Amino acid sequence: MTGTAAKGPRLESLLAGLLRYGTWLASAVTGAGLAMSLAGVEGTDVVAAGVALLIALPVLRVLVMLGAFILNRDYRLVIVAAVVLMIILAGLVIGLSSSNPLTH
Amino acid sequence: MDHGLGLWLFAVSLGASALGGMLGMASGIFIVPILTEFGHVDVRTAIGASLVSVIACSCGSASPFLKGGLVNVRLAIVLEVATTSGALTGVLLIGVIPTAYLFFWFAVILALSAQQMLTRRGEAAATSAGTGGWGTALGLDGSYPDRGRDVEYRVQRLPLGMLLMYGAGLISALLGIGSGVLKIPAMDTALRLPIKVSSATSNFMIGVTAAASAGAYFLHGDVVTAVAGPVALGSVVGSVLGARVLMAVSNERVRLLFVVVLLALAVQMALSGFGINLAGVSK
Repeated sequence: MTGTAAKGPRLESLLAGLLRYGTWLASAVTGAGLAMSLAGVEGTDVVAAGVALLIALPVLRVLVMLGAFILNRDYRLVIVAAVVLMIILAGLVIGLSSSNPLTH
Repeated sequence: MDHGLGLWLFAVSLGASALGGMLGMASGIFIVPILTEFGHVDVRTAIGASLVSVIACSCGSASPFLKGGLVNVRLAIVLEVATTSGALTGVLLIGVIPTAYLFFWFAVILALSAQQMLTRRGEAAATSAGTGGWGTALGLDGSYPDRGRDVEYRVQRLPLGMLLMYGAGLISALLGIGSGVLKIPAMDTALRLPIKVSSATSNFMIGVTAAASAGAYFLHGDVVTAVAGPVALGSVVGSVLGARVLMAVSNERVRLLFVVVLLALAVQMALSGFGINLAGVSK
């Protein structure tokens, strides 16, 4: 109990920083793209990059947690984090494959 | 890109997120009804944009909760196995379920949210009394700071909690919402977590849940950038403003306004399910 408590806050401040600055970065890119569009410059790809960054941010958060659990030799949670990443990956594969019934 | 639509989407998302932020919840529940009923946006485009806004709200507001020691990150990752599995199921089902059904489900979820807003959440019963079980075996029990001292708690009935979280993930992917309406009862009632821990941990988890489905929709080309971009940006700005305003206004008045808006949208979504449209006739 005390062991995890001692390691906990470091991981939590790392995740806090990642999510805070990641959100600012993704918002800045999205905002820049939208401003370009308003100014008459083609900004659709920049907006798409910002949206993609935002979607990738929680996935990156799981990846950082996986790394932290490996460093802590917390193997049960390593497996749990790896399973979450695999489920997300499966979703991406379904999204990419053309023969799925998502939205038609 | 249509400038008028973009600015309207930005303004609406800002308003919805500010309102949601005042009560500490994500704005996803408002985005889809407003976009489909008033913006004449296709329901699936609205769901994609809403999921992106849910991620923005979750990630943008996570930092203070994490630093305050209120998020149980170990429990979060375990429950995320269930929420992302649910989201994956939702992604597979969305093409199969007729749009009218989606509208009906949405109306039900809106009504449930309104009801949950009216019934005050109480503190879970004595949390240290449990027998351990799965939560203790996985080292998920924790403590959080409350009025200067650390309060310890146990995670109870994890399998039931996981089942409810699967349902929450499924609804999240199908309707484009954070589905706190299902996560919060799961954490309060099944896992018996302290209210501050369940709110903070739920907020932390909805980002990953939404990313699992939003990633699939994005790669499939269902996230329309011209809609999702302004909605995401408006949500980030709105949630920051909402948290600031939170201090200044009466919580009871916001709560009442929230319930009225939820019920109005529930009625409108149910009517849309029947093919009747009251609000969006003028174009």
